Amino acid sequence: MLTTGCSLLTPEPQIKIVTNTVKTTVPIVAHPKQVQLNDVKIYVVSKENYEEFVKEFEAKNGADAYIAISVKDYENLSLNFAELRRYIEQQKQIIVYYEEAVKPDTKQEKKE
Amino acid sequence: MFSSIRIAMILVLLTAAGGAFLYVKNLQKNLEIAQANVAKMEVALETSEASNKLLQDEAIKNAELNKQLTEDLQKAEKYGDELRATLQKHNLTHLANKKPGLIEKRMQNATNKLWDDLESITDPNANDRVQSTDSGTADKNSN
Repeated sequence: MLTTGCSLLTPEPQIKIVTNTVKTTVPIVAHPKQVQLNDVKIYVVSKENYEEFVKEFEAKNGADAYIAISVKDYENLSLNFAELRRYIEQQKQIIVYYEEAVKPDTKQEKKE
Repeated sequence: MFSSIRIAMILVLLTAAGGAFLYVKNLQKNLEIAQANVAKMEVALETSEASNKLLQDEAIKNAELNKQLTEDLQKAEKYGDELRATLQKHNLTHLANKKPGLIEKRMQNATNKLWDDLESITDPNANDRVQSTDSGTADKNSN
């Protein structure tokens, strides 16, 4: 009793458990409207069809002024568009990835 | 004298019995608290295990999403790669000189297809997972 007497003065400590779950909800915003592109008419002109082209072009557009682009530059333009297309697609995929990541887990919510 | 010793001994015994009673009572009280603590710790352990499971599930989900994203990002490179290969394969200048009409038609079709693809991939109502549209470079002299 003498050796354990001090324990009478110190009661058993009580454990307090506080469970606090904080889940952030990120609202998914609407995507921008799709692009509306205009048609572009391409003419490929060489010595073979130059005369024919001028006649057809004048008849159709009423003038013989046009913007010419070399084959090499056309290729570059194509590659530039391919790059833009890649960027748009990858950007969209990253957005989809984030949307999936922040989307609430339906299975987990059902359990709760 | 003898009776006073007896009284003193009885008092000592009573005090000891009282002390022992208080000690046992205190022990019982502590035991109850300890049992309650054990119960709480079991609950805490279960919560902790559930949290761990949740974290593991999240990690698995994120790994799957990462894998899917990497695959999708790779797919998006396909169009450009195919276009580069097509342009390297064909001498467009030579073909344009020899068969301007044919090349014009192919270029026009490929350009129209590119516009359609761009409209399609930017459509918010389309399937969320970016569709792997046909590369658009099937046409040998496309843009």
